Amino acid sequence: MRSIKTHLVIFSFCMLVIISCGGDDKSTDLNDSFDRSAMLQDWSDLMIIPAYESYLDKLTELRDRKNDFYNGGSIDDLVAMRSAYLSAYREWHKVSIFEIGKAEELALRNYSNIFPTNVEEIIANIDSPDYNLELPSNYDAQGFPAIDYLFYGLEIDDAALVTRLQQENYKTYVSDLVDRLYDLTSQVLLDWQNGYRESFIENDGSSATASVDKLVNDFLFYYEKFLRAGKIGIPAGIFSGSPIATSAEAPYSDIYSKAFFLLGFDAVDDFFNGVGHDGREGISLKQYLEHIAIDNQSQNLAPLINAQLQSARLQASDLNPSLQNQVIDDNNKMLLTYDELQKVVVLFKVDMLQALNIQVDFVDADGD
Amino acid sequence: MSIRTIFSFLLVSVLLTSCGDDTTTIDTPVNYEFTRSGNSSVSFSGQTARIGMATELVKAMSDLDQDATTLTEMYSNETATGGDADPFQDADLNASTKSVKSKVAASTDFFASNTAESAEIKADFQSWIDAQVSEVFINKDNLAQAGSAGQIADGSSVRYVNSKGLEYNQAVNKSLIGALMIDQICNNYLSPAVLDAGSNIEDNNSIIVADGKSYTTMEHKWDEAYGYLFGFSADPTDPLMTLGDDSFLNKYLSRVNADSDFDGIATDIFNAFKLGRAAIVAGEYDVRDEQAEILKEKLAMVIAIRAVYYLQHGKVALANNDNGGAFHDLSEGFGFVYSLRFTRQTDSDEAYFTKSEVDGFINLLTDGNGFWDVSAATLDQISEDIADKFSFTVAQAAQ
Repeated sequence: MRSIKTHLVIFSFCMLVIISCGGDDKSTDLNDSFDRSAMLQDWSDLMIIPAYESYLDKLTELRDRKNDFYNGGSIDDLVAMRSAYLSAYREWHKVSIFEIGKAEELALRNYSNIFPTNVEEIIANIDSPDYNLELPSNYDAQGFPAIDYLFYGLEIDDAALVTRLQQENYKTYVSDLVDRLYDLTSQVLLDWQNGYRESFIENDGSSATASVDKLVNDFLFYYEKFLRAGKIGIPAGIFSGSPIATSAEAPYSDIYSKAFFLLGFDAVDDFFNGVGHDGREGISLKQYLEHIAIDNQSQNLAPLINAQLQSARLQASDLNPSLQNQVIDDNNKMLLTYDELQKVVVLFKVDMLQALNIQVDFVDADGD
Repeated sequence: MSIRTIFSFLLVSVLLTSCGDDTTTIDTPVNYEFTRSGNSSVSFSGQTARIGMATELVKAMSDLDQDATTLTEMYSNETATGGDADPFQDADLNASTKSVKSKVAASTDFFASNTAESAEIKADFQSWIDAQVSEVFINKDNLAQAGSAGQIADGSSVRYVNSKGLEYNQAVNKSLIGALMIDQICNNYLSPAVLDAGSNIEDNNSIIVADGKSYTTMEHKWDEAYGYLFGFSADPTDPLMTLGDDSFLNKYLSRVNADSDFDGIATDIFNAFKLGRAAIVAGEYDVRDEQAEILKEKLAMVIAIRAVYYLQHGKVALANNDNGGAFHDLSEGFGFVYSLRFTRQTDSDEAYFTKSEVDGFINLLTDGNGFWDVSAATLDQISEDIADKFSFTVAQAAQ
């Protein structure tokens, strides 16, 4: 196995030498023959913008149900508000991988889904009216994880929860959290609709600041830090040595964490394979890899990546709907899932980036 | 790895053969283990304690509820009036009479007759500790801006910076690596002025041990140098197994060793410590001093490489508009630059960088609004100036 790999490397090296001996800038020409601009257009029009539109619809729904709850105040209103929260949270997982442009500038993900949420900080904010949700130290006191606590973690009894949430200071906080998600996301969508789409597509070169390089990096960063580590690795104790069940996503509503993981996983799979928001297929990284393999007469990585994605999906299918419970009951299944996810990281980050000639623009944090 | 081991073996053999008719042999053990009459003759508990105190101090500087008095007591391990203080969580550290402050900029070679600068450096640390509370903690609920202290996002974590973007806890952490660890190792315990002080040579030749101890004073001095690097290791006799066990010199030796350009530097350093110690046992002082020179050079490289590494990473982050990430890198870089003052040139009485050179770098970094407006050109210039004194390039260090 190792020797085959070594031979492959030597072989590819020879290929590189041969190509570079071939005369002028043949190698760059080969790269450029793939229509990056068309891929960027499909990414924008089939995936990113429709995903944000749909997500903003769900946030509008959540905001409306929240307003209904504060205008009415029945248990039915609570149930409707919770349901709108879950729909929005699901849809969030379709946009989280696209942290570029305005979303990156606003740090949308940090304000939307940093967990575990900080209950102490939430209580402190509810108790004092002069909190500032723009502070980075309040990342973990807002967004979906904080709402999850407020809607599912405050009271066991629904009637008691309604009474509690109707108190003025709770009302202010819940409204601020919901409205803030809506406001931030509408800024992002508006930016895509008012010029960013065009500049994103025009920036179709292959340098560290080009759109393809940047979004592929953002996509990998999401995969590595937020999907693999955040949703599976950290609660499974990969980085701390011992499992931390309470670090699972949405631990208060509890039974949705596997579904959220799978939605994030789907988003990764769809982005790689070019599956648009409505299921239509567009130009993708998969096609890009196929194109390069044909041009260079080298191995096509796409089937390997898809096979490994499939293994990871299969392993994950075995998980409990509540990842928190999975950690407690049988953490080994979390570890096995993590291992399969990790194998994809190697394929993406080493093999794919090398084939696409993209530099990694993020490094592992120092740990201090 | 194994080739390297064979090489070191060959090297040792060469050294031994070069001793020629001299009948003494240097018996270098596999691990850092030396015994006398069945008892270990290795001791560096004071160094382990100081690393422990520095660890608690640095950790406490990230605790937004800390007050300046407690932090200062962690630095000096005494009260403002010189009384006994118990600022540490670890009871053993509270019981200790040692302190971080007493050994900051306190080496025989550099500071015995340069107490004015020593006092200035000690005061730098005190000022960073005080300012962490008086400038940064009181602004913890404000967003940092050019010219004003507060919090700033670095990815999903939060950093707390002064008005120039500097994290004082990083300044203290990384500057201690130079002012405490490097200074004590390279300018104190590895120095002939300390190793050979008083009757150390005669005592070591005649195996006269220190009062009530199983080591000679010279052996102990060498071990104290070792302790500032490996005193926090899980197994100090075999420290390369778990490199990175503290937040100071050991950790950054681990980082540099992980860069393929400098692969093996940790083994080189460990071997030099071992051979030097074995040479003391054998009374071979020339061999001992050769190892001391190797250590000075390699340890200086660790500081210089990390200084360049962080300045370059800060530069990239600034270009990506990631101010939080950049300021964190530059704060670490600030501390490593500050530490350059304590690095020791081989076969020389001088540091690699004079006080005025280091002050110049620090001024460039902190001029005006500091990290908020430092230019890529400035960061490159400092990086080049540092790398120029060594055999590595900026690109090699930046990886």
